[in-house]
Amino acid sequence: MKKLFYILLLMVITLLRVEAQNPGWIVPDDQKGKICLVKFTPDMVKQGEALYMKNCQSCHGIPTKKNFAAIQPSPGDLSEPKAGTQKDGELFYRITTGKVPMPEFRNILSEDERWSVISFLRSFHKGYVQPDPEKMAASMGKRIRLTMAYDTAKKKIMVKAVELTKNGPVSAKGAEIIVFVQRYFGNMQLADPKPTSESGYAGFDWPQDFPGDKTGKVILGARVNDPTGSMQEAIVRDTLTIGLPTNKPSLTDTRAMWSTREKAPVWMILTYVLAVIIVWYFIFYIILSVLDIRKIKQIKKT
Amino acid sequence: MDQIINDLSHHIRLNKGFFLWMGFLALAFLACLYAYIQQLRYGLGVAGIRDYISWGLYISNFVFFVASSLIGMLISAVLGLIGLAYVFLYARFQSPILWDVTVITTYFVISLLLLFLPMIPDMAVLYKRFANLPSWLKPVYKVLSLNWTDHPEQNRIIHRSIYILLILIIPAALSIHTVTSWLFALTVRPGWDSTIFGPYFVSGAFVAGSAAVIIAMFFFRKNYKLQDYLTDLHFNNMGKVLVLVAFVYLYFNINEYLVPGYKLKRADAVHLKELMSGHFALTFWLVQVGGLLIPIVLMLFRKMRKPLPLTLISIVVLIAAWFKRYLIVVPAMAHPFLPVQHVPDNFKVYSPTLIEIAITLLSFILVLIIITLISKFFPVIPVVETAKEKGLDPLKSNES
Ligand code: HEC
Repeated sequence: MKKLFYILLLMVITLLRVEAQNPGWIVPDDQKGKICLVKFTPDMVKQGEALYMKNCQSCHGIPTKKNFAAIQPSPGDLSEPKAGTQKDGELFYRITTGKVPMPEFRNILSEDERWSVISFLRSFHKGYVQPDPEKMAASMGKRIRLTMAYDTAKKKIMVKAVELTKNGPVSAKGAEIIVFVQRYFGNMQLADPKPTSESGYAGFDWPQDFPGDKTGKVILGARVNDPTGSMQEAIVRDTLTIGLPTNKPSLTDTRAMWSTREKAPVWMILTYVLAVIIVWYFIFYIILSVLDIRKIKQIKKT
Repeated sequence: MDQIINDLSHHIRLNKGFFLWMGFLALAFLACLYAYIQQLRYGLGVAGIRDYISWGLYISNFVFFVASSLIGMLISAVLGLIGLAYVFLYARFQSPILWDVTVITTYFVISLLLLFLPMIPDMAVLYKRFANLPSWLKPVYKVLSLNWTDHPEQNRIIHRSIYILLILIIPAALSIHTVTSWLFALTVRPGWDSTIFGPYFVSGAFVAGSAAVIIAMFFFRKNYKLQDYLTDLHFNNMGKVLVLVAFVYLYFNINEYLVPGYKLKRADAVHLKELMSGHFALTFWLVQVGGLLIPIVLMLFRKMRKPLPLTLISIVVLIAAWFKRYLIVVPAMAHPFLPVQHVPDNFKVYSPTLIEIAITLLSFILVLIIITLISKFFPVIPVVETAKEKGLDPLKSNES
């Protein structure tokens, strides 16, 4: 009995050790302090819940239900203190980078979306107080807001960067701006990055023959590209009707190999039907003539 | 003449061994059928295939059977039909699947006729002259022998029909392997996106088919005591055939891997690396070296083309042929062009489930059952032809 007790004790201790460590998943110190730059709102929590159900539930289960997937290492229930006691920056880092088998969400969820998932998780963590975004922001680089417009006269995309200071918005000088066009997959960068001028503007020549959709719409985006960290990430997206209206006929409009059943190429139908008819003509011919073998004997008899 | 009839048909009876063997097959069959019923009830989810790797063992089997159908043409066709017949409902003329189903059906019928026609005289002779013919088989033989009386007109019809069929089966056989290869090659997937897939598959089919023929020859010879009719000479010749087709296949293999291997386009490079030094490397090299290269070298020696060593080599070749199909199907599916991300783990890798393996066994057992039944009910070696070669009249008893 005593032996059994010791063995059990040993097992519990080992288990606890493993549980406690999160081995090999270390969050770099400079990431731990990262925080969300807006106050969590009920809307955000709602969005976070939807995102969580879509992206995380398959492994982590529904929070508080402890119905996470039985895989190794264990994903765990994220409403538990193990996640609840971590800093926002730690959770953010883990979601961003993932660790096999957990996928990295860097390219799946935007930063805002990742934060809203965290806001949803935080709603389960008793005693959690969100760090004040305003206060913390001061130490985290300038907060920038971007706007974008098309200047018809100059034929330029004009991106304006504004720094949000305590005393209100001020034009931001020297912010490196990247402009990109959204395509089916990913974004296409329009030109080399450009810093904003004294007045906070950066202008990008817009190619006049750029193809848009049927009505000439193009989805554009602009981003601050600041590797030094002195400015925070900022992004703006807009749909502008400045492309050439492009109405390519659908690839499935004409008869073609790749088209639907109704639009099979005539030569192909013919080939198929002819081949089948010819081959099966011979097969039936043979079957019929083989059946004749029986008659031959009768002829001979009579 | 009686001697020949007896020698070549004494296996047509139901002895203890047959029942034991069939009983074993039937049991195994039922066990595996259970797996199949599970799959019917719970859906394909019980197999290891998922959204990304959606072709696993089943398609490997299908391709393998199509390949070895140069002998088991009939069996493979049945399997192929079971697997794909429903596709007719959605058939698109541009789809290689429609062509595949059509070609397999045609091939099936031609094969059946080719099996049946040469047997007509045999069944007539055995019906009249083979005393040990099981009584319940008699009416079957009577109907199927179509009143054959060795009338010249009858023989003319049979010969002409066989002749036409033999011409038809060449394009049909080439089509079946080519069209099956198109199921793969008409995609842009690295590993399948190849212009030589047609002849690659045709030559691969010849290898698997010849190996299967040799194995079948060996077992018929042994179990049905046909040593006088299936001689060392036959084995020697089949060995030469196998070497020849294996050389051709090797040639296509070198093309298939060397050409993309020289250019190493990004996706191809990933695929080739997986095969040659990655996850599938062990299987790959066993198949290429153990299942192709070494057999070729061995079979160049006359001694190795004796029945027993040749059969052993053929078994290795046939097993390798199956794994080769697996290597064609699965690794290519594991590397789609879009990065696999953000999906459950079991979408990314494929490992066959027990049910899948059981269903695979099911198809192999079915093949064995069909071969056993056919070879138990009908002569394996044409009786009349053998008799005529020896200058005997099959319908008269006073000779020999
Ligand atoms: C494929 C399964 C899977 C998915 C999907 C998944 N995770 Fe995880 N997650 C894990 C596993 C497994 C671990 C534990 C890893 C370890 O400890 O090494 C983990 C750990 C975590 C941790 C750290 C927990 C801790 O206690 O330190 C957080 C936070 C987390 N996941 C959040 C998320 C969020 C948010 C999502 C959805 C956006 C998500 N995960 C989606 C499998 C998953």
